[in-house]
Amino acid sequence: MSSLGALIIVLAILMTIIGGETGIRSFFSVLINSLLLVLVAMLISWGLSIPIITAIFVPLKLATIIFLGTHDYTVAKNSFYASLIVLSLVSVLILGIQYLAQAAGLGPEAGEILLGHSQMPGISYGQIAVTVAIFSALGAVAEAAVSMSSGILELKKAKPDITEEQLMKSGAAIGYDVLGTAMNTIIYGMFGSFLSLFLWYYRLHYSFGEVINDKLFVNEALIIMYSLLGVLLTVPLATFLLAKGMSRQSEAKNGNEKTRDQEL
Amino acid sequence: METKKQRILAALVLLALGLGLAALTYFKTTGYKNPVAVITDTKIKDRLLKKETDIYGNKDEERRQYLHVQVLTGKYKGQTFETVNTYYPSQLVTQKYRAGERVFVTVTDGSLALVSPKRDWILVMTLVITLALMVAVVGRRSWHLIVSMAISWILFYCLILWDVAVNGAGIIWMFSLADIVFSFFSLAIVQGVNKKMLVTWLATLLGVFVSFALCYAVIKLTGETYLNYEMGDYATQDTRGIFMAQALLGVLGAVMDEATDIVSSLYELIQHKPEITVKDLLASGRTMGQEIMGPLINVLVLIFISEALPETILYFRDNNTIATTFNFTMSLGATQSAVSAIGIVLTIVFASLCSLLFLKKPQKGGKQE
Repeated sequence: MSSLGALIIVLAILMTIIGGETGIRSFFSVLINSLLLVLVAMLISWGLSIPIITAIFVPLKLATIIFLGTHDYTVAKNSFYASLIVLSLVSVLILGIQYLAQAAGLGPEAGEILLGHSQMPGISYGQIAVTVAIFSALGAVAEAAVSMSSGILELKKAKPDITEEQLMKSGAAIGYDVLGTAMNTIIYGMFGSFLSLFLWYYRLHYSFGEVINDKLFVNEALIIMYSLLGVLLTVPLATFLLAKGMSRQSEAKNGNEKTRDQEL
Repeated sequence: METKKQRILAALVLLALGLGLAALTYFKTTGYKNPVAVITDTKIKDRLLKKETDIYGNKDEERRQYLHVQVLTGKYKGQTFETVNTYYPSQLVTQKYRAGERVFVTVTDGSLALVSPKRDWILVMTLVITLALMVAVVGRRSWHLIVSMAISWILFYCLILWDVAVNGAGIIWMFSLADIVFSFFSLAIVQGVNKKMLVTWLATLLGVFVSFALCYAVIKLTGETYLNYEMGDYATQDTRGIFMAQALLGVLGAVMDEATDIVSSLYELIQHKPEITVKDLLASGRTMGQEIMGPLINVLVLIFISEALPETILYFRDNNTIATTFNFTMSLGATQSAVSAIGIVLTIVFASLCSLLFLKKPQKGGKQE
């Protein structure tokens, strides 16, 4: 049996025991999410339009992460819209910055990988770099949106008569915590992902100037910053959407059944 | 507490200063190993050399740019050279240059060769945009986040120095120790050294090390089947050790943050409701954990696996089967994701148990503030 298979089985068991029904759903959200990445790679390799594939798979992946991973529908719906808007904004930013950075493709460091492979594959690695950047930021944005939305909803539940203004203010406080959380996850995730690249730079005596101009380093550093930018944009937007949505909801409720609103 | 207007004003000032800094970086020519040059053409002559179809049936072009490059630093300062650059439009390994951009070059025996475009100013610009947005969103407390981020980078750099100095010997122990130090500093900066922070620290370490030991055992028991450590990129030392080190480091942030969330909430709960039963407390920790774990695991999966996408596409492009492609490109990232996911799930248990053991007072002595 392959080691990866065994680890996945252990994970499935643990998630079922500890997570219960939510755990099982989260497990499938992770599994589907990974399979979607393989599918994206295949579709792109068949020569289909990279921007269109990206535009289709971003909402698809968000839906898998958010709707399968959380069990509160209000939280999920709000997080989904917030992350979709944020990712559209971040994508525009990514397009602009990647255009300027000219850091697509594999670096000269990747020589070994390229051995025996086509060096002229006939698809745009510039576009692929944009897609990779968007997907890398996607997870962090979705996580932040879910934490923000559920945090604010908790607050609203505890204090049903809170005003929209107060809600926005508390949103900033919750946002600080969410940001702290996301930042560590992103940065250590990246350290763990690129340790060997950094060792490579050091061992081959790259100077500081060379490192900060190197294609791969620039690409990685930019991906960290796109994720942070995405999380930063999510904080006010998720708060705003939820505050708007809830005030509309409570107005509607006030019209129909006032008593139930007070009970909450 | 500062107002929203002040925050946005501060962010705009920072943005203006930072963009100035980015411009300075763009025009900076000193302090690099290679001379800096500028492409003087306003429109680069670009000629199609030939259309090619490789053995896999991929169609690509070979094109050549004819450039005029003026050197800005070094021995050849002020001189203009003519040079050519051959590239494939897919730009997998080759680079297309743009009119008017700044580049690094080498000059030997009177002939000039292009090295790469100058990219550092883009990093400065993006960093400034990120920091300005951070100030606009969270205000003065951005400092904590920036200091914590800077310390992480410094520690990471020290770690690399250490690893290279001992040539990767005992790498698992080294990175275990690094995890202990990293998490202590990170948590201490944000929370200060107090009982709650120490409990969070303990939960983090238990989460990382117990799950790592479990995964290590599983990997050993299955005989490391289909684990192609040697396919890890940029290997400069024992690839198996590097993989383990990456797994130890990659999961730390997520586990630390999860432990913080759970311990802080349970701490609040105990403060407000000292009479809460053991069962309710554990249930509460479990519910919180269930909510966080799915999205958190997905963050890491996307970081670890997306990274392999360019290579994966290349493998598929060259008519490899799904199994071969997966084994050679994504399987290490997927394994790292699985190890991290197990860490994230187990941390729920440890964070809840540690809160119960160390934060909850026995019924009578319930502290009320």
